[in-house]
Amino acid sequence: MKQKVYSVVLKGTLLFFGLLTILPFVWMLSSSFKTNIEIRSNVQSFIPQQFTIQNYANVLEHFNFLRYFINSLLYALLITLITIYTSTAAGFVLGKYRFKGRQLLFTCILLTMMVPGIVTIIPRYSIMQFLGWIDTYQALIVPSSFTAFGIFMMRQATFSIPDEMLDAARIDGANEFYLFHRIVLPQLRNSIVSLAIFQFLWAWDDYLWPYLMIRTEKKSLLSVALNLFNGRYSTDYASLFAATSIAIIPVIIFYLVFQKHFIEGVSSSSITG
Amino acid sequence: MALINRTRHPLRSRSEIIFRNIVIVLLIAFFVLFFVLPIIMALIGSFYQWNPLRLQFNFLGLDNWKKVFTSKLFWSSMWHTVVFALAAVAFRVVLGLAAAHALYSRSIKHKSFYRTLYYLPTITPMVAVAFVWKFIFDPQFGLLNHLLGIDINWLFDGKYALPAIIILTIWKDFGFAMVIFLGSLYSLPKDCYEAAEIDGAGAWQRLVKLTIPLLRPTILFIVIVSLISYFQTYIPVMVLTQGGPGTQTYLVTYMIYEEAFVKYNFGYASALSFVVFLFIAVLTGFSFKISGERSLS
Repeated sequence: MKQKVYSVVLKGTLLFFGLLTILPFVWMLSSSFKTNIEIRSNVQSFIPQQFTIQNYANVLEHFNFLRYFINSLLYALLITLITIYTSTAAGFVLGKYRFKGRQLLFTCILLTMMVPGIVTIIPRYSIMQFLGWIDTYQALIVPSSFTAFGIFMMRQATFSIPDEMLDAARIDGANEFYLFHRIVLPQLRNSIVSLAIFQFLWAWDDYLWPYLMIRTEKKSLLSVALNLFNGRYSTDYASLFAATSIAIIPVIIFYLVFQKHFIEGVSSSSITG
Repeated sequence: MALINRTRHPLRSRSEIIFRNIVIVLLIAFFVLFFVLPIIMALIGSFYQWNPLRLQFNFLGLDNWKKVFTSKLFWSSMWHTVVFALAAVAFRVVLGLAAAHALYSRSIKHKSFYRTLYYLPTITPMVAVAFVWKFIFDPQFGLLNHLLGIDINWLFDGKYALPAIIILTIWKDFGFAMVIFLGSLYSLPKDCYEAAEIDGAGAWQRLVKLTIPLLRPTILFIVIVSLISYFQTYIPVMVLTQGGPGTQTYLVTYMIYEEAFVKYNFGYASALSFVVFLFIAVLTGFSFKISGERSLS
């Protein structure tokens, strides 16, 4: 009997947490199909009484959200590709080569992880101003082209490649560039997938730096556009619900498709971290 | 074989040296340009009146630093940050552990379903999520008041604005703690539990006397990692309250953001940011020590 009560309590707890987690998303999505009148009415229901897709049409047509969506998508993809490549190359050199200062360099890179973003972002703004890169995409991409976290993760991953395998290829006459592209990158694909997923989501989440750097509205990223939209049309709740859905729902779908990699990635990074 | 294994390296072929040099040069150039140089600039800049829009750069001596420590807003922001961080960490740990512990139980099916579900808020983009919560807290049509049948003006009432930000943060972050705790729970030694069960220890006793002490390193890890990230929280403030009502929800990083990119006081903002830097450095020092202990245990 006691066992049974315990089990019911457990299941109740889990269900409660589950509802808590998902309710904001359900509410957002259902509200995005409601009219402004219904959103503001006193009687609320999760199912739209007057189902409409006008809000989506509105933000996509009049406010260019498709454009922002594509900007964000390309930006996140590009950052992901670049950091995978640089992290693996740096991880390979730091993990497999022996040379003077290697450990020092690696320690310095790790130390940069503890520098709060708010410290470096102020001078970085001036550096970009000095370079004349403000309102260009290179201002977004170049400062994100290496990541300490990625280098750390890929360096750990290179330990799984046996030295004998690399030496055998070297004896067969492979140079290091060939070795890196044809052996190291393919061997590390599991770690690369994990890194890519996180990197993509982080880039999708970027807000302050793109907000500071990009002046031309057409070049804006989704998260920045969301804030601009809110500033201007703060009473058009229905459209804002549609706009946030456009920013969130694709991420949820992406997450559900790759969920196995997420949990593995989080668990393994906590073990090493 | 003996010849190859004898000493792997120093570097042998020319292509190894070229490959290494390209990577190292780019790596060092990157970290010097985007970390070393900015930190030096921020440190020097903190002694100047520095406005990038008016191209001002006038030496001020210690004025910015004096202003940091005499500013009422800075101290109240620090206080809000400490309250926010401690509350969010406490709930993150307790809820994360509760969810992980419930999920760990043998009688629960669909474990991976729940795990996926709880982790969902963690991966969603903060700015968009903060907007959704802004509406959830809306006194007129917000979900929260409707569900609880209460009438609280969450974001415009000084008593509730900071708690609202804490609620959003807990909702978004407890799943991360849950995943970490669950991983640790599975790695705990099984024989202790068998022994405890034979000795007649109940479920609650096993949790308090056995599980929590065994999870101590994981709990510390989550506390430190969370404190580091909560000291740098500003997006929820920016979206939900903009520091208001009054200055009730100024968190220290939000204050720096405002000084730097609303008022363009780069010098003063740099001085402020070094205070946060110091806090984070101390916390990181702890975290390295703990992760050292964790990997040993």
